[in-house]
Amino acid sequence: MLGKCFFVIVLLSLVFGLFTGNAAALGNAALDGAARAVEVTLSLVGMTALWCGVMRVFTECGTVRLLSRLLSPLLRPVFPGAWQDERCRETVTAAVTANMLGLGNASTPLALTAMRELGRASPGEATDDMVTFAVLGTAPFNILPATLIALRRAAGSAAPCAVVVPVWICSLAAALFGILLSRLLRKAGRQHA
Amino acid sequence: MTFLLETLPALLVPLVLALAAFPLASSKKDYVSAFRAGAEEGLRTAVGLLPSLVLLLTALSMLSASGFVEFLASHLAGACRAVGIPAEILPLALTRPFSGAASTAGYAELMETYGPDRFPALCAAVLMGPSDTAVYVVSVYFSGAGVGRTRHALPAALLTGVFALVLACLLCRLFFGG
Repeated sequence: MLGKCFFVIVLLSLVFGLFTGNAAALGNAALDGAARAVEVTLSLVGMTALWCGVMRVFTECGTVRLLSRLLSPLLRPVFPGAWQDERCRETVTAAVTANMLGLGNASTPLALTAMRELGRASPGEATDDMVTFAVLGTAPFNILPATLIALRRAAGSAAPCAVVVPVWICSLAAALFGILLSRLLRKAGRQHA
Repeated sequence: MTFLLETLPALLVPLVLALAAFPLASSKKDYVSAFRAGAEEGLRTAVGLLPSLVLLLTALSMLSASGFVEFLASHLAGACRAVGIPAEILPLALTRPFSGAASTAGYAELMETYGPDRFPALCAAVLMGPSDTAVYVVSVYFSGAGVGRTRHALPAALLTGVFALVLACLLCRLFFGG
């Protein structure tokens, strides 16, 4: 998928760059992008180590198992395949919890761990649960949209929290839509795989 | 409300870490080596992601320099107004799937230009909540898992983003008028 994305994006950029007269800037932009990948990785490394370590501690002392049992009625119907396996169940629970709480940047490292566990069942090709999990990752349901409120307060909003209720409704609906859509597109996805 | 939405989130990370500190201090079982094993695995994942990220961010950086977003935004403005999406937020909505940093900057700029409590900025706020950088998330998640064939993940993620955009504007109309 990454190869195809690269192909489409680079060709689009070239065509539009020539078309809009921005072609000269493309070379520098490409090199900037590569440099930024290193910056992103560096900023991710410490965080990933911390959260994956903390997650392991919570797993070994049973906190995650308790949490996955609590969230089971909610998550089992969404990830039926993953729920058969204990490690999948626990890593998915941890990632979803971090995502809902907006826990710093913990959700990406935990999501990566969960994806690796989910991927053990079918190396090389995405399973239905992996697709659902990734789609939910792009449409997270965030109970505490703290970053958004901080941005609004910084911009001088009269009521920074006023958007919270529509954000909840929109997040919940988008998450449900994402789950439904990844289910509906399963057959098409299998044919093109 | 302020406590729940501003003070509590700020305390969440230290609270979770404090919760982890209890088992770490226990002498019955060696939780520190559990932490180290988890952290080491996390490190390997993060560093292993770099080659894929180089490929992805190089392409995305070129795309944002090519003027593609501006072109698309100016050509889709009419169609979007027809379905109730303010044209002002189109550049943001089109950047959102590709870059988190750029879309956050775009949102801040939108608030500065129109005011944080005006209709376009409110729509943008409601959109920022439930949409994350779809292309980035899907690539990173599957690269981290070593999976090349992602099936319908990207189309489903992008369509969910479109759904969130339309719904966000509709909700703003209901809640704030405009």
